[in-house]
Amino acid sequence: MAGRGVLAYGFIGLLLLVVGVPFYWMVNTSLKTSAQLQSLTPYYYPSPATLRNYAALLGTTNFLTWIKNSALVAVGATLVTVVVSSLAGYSLTRIRYPGRRVLATTVLVVYLVPPTLLFIPLYTVLKSFDLVNSLWALLVAYPTFTVPFCTWLLMGFFRSIPRDLEEAAMVDGATRLGAFTRVILPLTTPGILAAALFAFTLAWNEFLYALVFVHNTELKTIPVGLNDLMFGDIFLWGELMAASVLTTLPVIALYTYLQRYMVEGLTAGAVTG
Amino acid sequence: MTKPSAWRRVLVADALVGYLFVLPLIVLVLGLVAYPLGNAVWISLTDKYVGYAARFVGLANYVTLTRDPIFHKVIRNSAVFTLASVAVKVVLGMLMALALQRALVARSFLRAALLVPWVIPTVITALTWHWMFNALWGFINVTLQGVGLVREPIAWLGQPATAMAAVITANIWRGFPFFGVCLLAGMQAIPRDLYEAAAVDGASPAQRFWHITLPGLRLVLLVTTLISLIFTLNDFNIVYVLTRGGPGTATHVLATYTYEVGFQALRWGKAVAVSMYPLPVIAVMIVIVTRYLTRED
Repeated sequence: MAGRGVLAYGFIGLLLLVVGVPFYWMVNTSLKTSAQLQSLTPYYYPSPATLRNYAALLGTTNFLTWIKNSALVAVGATLVTVVVSSLAGYSLTRIRYPGRRVLATTVLVVYLVPPTLLFIPLYTVLKSFDLVNSLWALLVAYPTFTVPFCTWLLMGFFRSIPRDLEEAAMVDGATRLGAFTRVILPLTTPGILAAALFAFTLAWNEFLYALVFVHNTELKTIPVGLNDLMFGDIFLWGELMAASVLTTLPVIALYTYLQRYMVEGLTAGAVTG
Repeated sequence: MTKPSAWRRVLVADALVGYLFVLPLIVLVLGLVAYPLGNAVWISLTDKYVGYAARFVGLANYVTLTRDPIFHKVIRNSAVFTLASVAVKVVLGMLMALALQRALVARSFLRAALLVPWVIPTVITALTWHWMFNALWGFINVTLQGVGLVREPIAWLGQPATAMAAVITANIWRGFPFFGVCLLAGMQAIPRDLYEAAAVDGASPAQRFWHITLPGLRLVLLVTTLISLIFTLNDFNIVYVLTRGGPGTATHVLATYTYEVGFQALRWGKAVAVSMYPLPVIAVMIVIVTRYLTRED
C-alpha cells in the first residue's frame, strides 16, 4: 500500500515537473536581459534579474490597450452569457413545454460545433451588421460558444435543486420569475460562479475569431496582439514572455480563488450531464 | 381544489414563461449558428472570392479538392495530429487520474495545479512552447546539450517530422489535464464496495483496474475522448502560433488551411469546402456524445 502511494506521488511529481517547466522558462526568460537571452551559454536563471522587459512591454507596445480590449470583451461576454444561460438553463430543466428536450439537445450540439466551420459565415453575418473590425463583433460572436457551454453546465446545477423548494414558493403565491430569482438563483450561486468563470476564461483566451474579425492594432485582444509581436523582425522573447506572465496572471488568480467551482462545474456539466 | 380549466391556464402561462426564458438562446442559436452554418453550405457551393459576387458552381470546390495534393497532405496531417495527441492525452490523463486517486494528501490542490495548462490562454501555451523549442536558446536544446544527449542544436520547428512532434507535444501538454480531471471524477463515482469485494476475492491491482475501473469509466472515457477528438481535429491556435502550418505544409491542419485559403488567398468558396470535409466524421461524433449525455437514466 505504502509502495503504491510513493509511486503515485512520484508520478504526480513528474507531471508537475512537465507542467511546471514551461512556466518556469516563461518567468525565467521574462526576467533576463537580452544579452543573457542571446548568450551562447544560456543560463537556467536570470543573473542579475531585471524588470526591463516588463518596462519595455508597457512602454513601447500596445500591451495595455490589448489587455483593456480583452477585459472589455471578456467581461461583456460573461455578463451576456450568465443572463442568457441561467434563464435558458432554468427553463430547459424546470418548466414543461413542447420542444424543450429538442432544445436541450440542440444546446449540446451547438457547443460541439467547431469554430473552424463557423468563422467565415459568421464574418459575413457580422459584416452585414457593419460590426467587423470592432469589439462588438467579438461581443456578438463569443456567446456562440460561451452560452451553449454555460447553459449545459447550469442545467446540471438546476437539476440538482429539489423541485419542492420552488413549488412551495409558488404555492405561497410567488410567480415563476419570483421563484426563480428569490429561491433558485441564490441556491445556484456556485453554478453561476462556475459559468461566469468559464465564460470569462473562454472569452479571454479566444484567438481565431479575434484574429479574423478585428484588424486595427488598437482594437486587438491580447492573444492576437501577442501573436503580432512574435512575428516582428526584432528579438522580442523577453518582452513576449513578460507579456505571457502578465496575461496568464489574471486567469491564474481567478482560478486559484474559484477553482473548486470550476472543477465541480467541469465534472458536473461536461461529464455526467 | 382548482378547477381543471384554471389549472390548464396556469400550465399554459407557465409554458409561456418557459419559452420567454429560453428565447434569447433560440435567437442566438438561429441567428449566429444555424443561419451561418446554412450559409456556409451555400458558400461552399459557389466560387466566392472576397470582393466579388458569388456564382453557383455546384460541387466543383469539393471535386477540385479531391485532386489537390496540398489538401491530401492537410488531411493526413490532421489525422496524425489528432490521433497522436488524443491517444497520448487519454493515456497520460488515465495515469494522472489513477495517481490522484491514490494520493490521499493534498489531492484537490494537486488536481488544481495540474489543471493549470488547460486554463491558461492557448496562444500563451503556443508562444511558450515556441520559445521552449527555440533552436539556440530554448529550454529543450539547452538541456539536451547540457546533459550531452545531442551535440548540435536541433531545429525542432524547422524540420517536418520534429515540427509535427512539437505541435503534438504542445497540444498534449494543454489537453491531458482535462482527461485527468474528468476520469478522476468518473473513478470517484464507482462504488467502493466493488473494490472491497474484489480485494476479498484476492484480485490483483491490475485485475481490479481491468474488471472494475475500466468498465466503470466506459461512459466518461468515451465522451471525453470524443469531445477531445472534435476539438483537437479543429485545433487552430497551437499549430498557427507554433508553425503557421510549416515548414512548407508539414504541419498544416484543416483549421490553419481553411484560414489560409479564406483569409490569405481570399477564396471563400474553397476555404469553406475545406472546413466542410470533416463534417460527416464530426457529425457522427456529435451524435454519439449527445446521445450518451442526454440519456435519462
